[in-house]
Amino acid sequence: MSFVTQRPLELILARNLMSALSTPAFLVDEGGLLVFYNEAAGLLLGKRFEELGTVGPQEWGSLFGPFDESGQPIPYDDLPIVSAVRAGRPAHAELTVRSTDGTSHDVEVSAFPILTPHGSQGAIAVFWPSLTGGNGAAPA
Amino acid sequence: MKVKLWGTRGSIPAPGPETIRYGGNTSCVGVTLSDGSLLALDAGTGIRCLGLAQPDEPSRLHILLTHLHLDHIQGLVFFAPAFRPQTEIVIWGPASPEASLRDRIARYISAPLSPVEVRELPCDVSFRHCPESEWEIGPARIRAASVAHRGPTLGYRIDDGDSSLAYIPDHEPALGADLEQLEEDWISGFALARDASLLIHDGQYSDAEYPCHLGWGHSALSHALAFARRTEARRTVLFHHDPLHSDDYLDDLAGEARQGWERLGGDPAAIELGKERSEYELSAKAPQPGAPVALG
Repeated sequence: MSFVTQRPLELILARNLMSALSTPAFLVDEGGLLVFYNEAAGLLLGKRFEELGTVGPQEWGSLFGPFDESGQPIPYDDLPIVSAVRAGRPAHAELTVRSTDGTSHDVEVSAFPILTPHGSQGAIAVFWPSLTGGNGAAPA
Repeated sequence: MKVKLWGTRGSIPAPGPETIRYGGNTSCVGVTLSDGSLLALDAGTGIRCLGLAQPDEPSRLHILLTHLHLDHIQGLVFFAPAFRPQTEIVIWGPASPEASLRDRIARYISAPLSPVEVRELPCDVSFRHCPESEWEIGPARIRAASVAHRGPTLGYRIDDGDSSLAYIPDHEPALGADLEQLEEDWISGFALARDASLLIHDGQYSDAEYPCHLGWGHSALSHALAFARRTEARRTVLFHHDPLHSDDYLDDLAGEARQGWERLGGDPAAIELGKERSEYELSAKAPQPGAPVALG
């Protein structure tokens, strides 16, 4: 018989925890692909994960940004969560995301890698409302 | 492949007249592969009797540990083949960043908890961390994967010819998750159990008991049934009985399991609660209805 491709347990547990949080949280796999975000993140973005599903970098960027302080889209590879999974180090940034109704949200993002005995299995990013008024971005 | 339950209890041995039918020994399952070689899944107190049943002749045995909680290793120092110089024993288990498998097991097989040290065991014993990829023991292909429980814990899948056994005795896949809704690749242990000829799975708590044991690493009955249904295991044995559960209580739980399984569209004969010394002969065919052959 053929085996199902199974997510690493650490990602499964991370998703289960994130599902219970009221803080917007995002999960990427070891390749940096967005594989889950929770209901709080869905509220922020205006679209539930179940509606969107797993998306690649291009689609993600066109839907939600994020944008830097000059209002330019931040390349997917430069996002804190992608930096975290690739470098195996935590990352933090202020940025702006755009929800599906066009509203901009200034947030601070803390991202950290999920390191296991088998190496980096992914990363989690948590969004916090910006206390500094955001990065001043006015997304195009 | 032949499977025999030598210990079905979880947490701590529970001997006594009230547990005589389902058994009081902690987790141990003997697996005889198609070439006659023997694997032991876990080494709870049930492995003592498994050891006593082995002939006193040169042999090579593999013990596959899911994790190192005491109810899964307590029988190691009472395993007769370990005291025979002509026996080779290979112990497999989960890796940990903290210490090697040998060093972690040696915390139990050492003073003051044990009268013997690992280095004093007369047998030729070796310790191996389970690889991430599939490996072979005799004619069988073995796969281990981390599963949701407290501490580094593995589940196993053993494929021998066309038959397969999934062994996940300590498992809480529904912790923070809805097993009915979740995509299959996000369910802990799914790949191990999918379409298995026989699934031996944690069924420690009734649904009424579970809320008081949330996060303890074990399943409620309905969770075990949901897991079995999603993985489409062809026969399921619920295992790791709570030490507080008497035979009468487990009879009632078995009735609930059959009813629940039937409500999920399954054959009630394909689900049962594990009884010590029960045996199963696995084949690629659909499970044979009726009770397993009970020797004890």
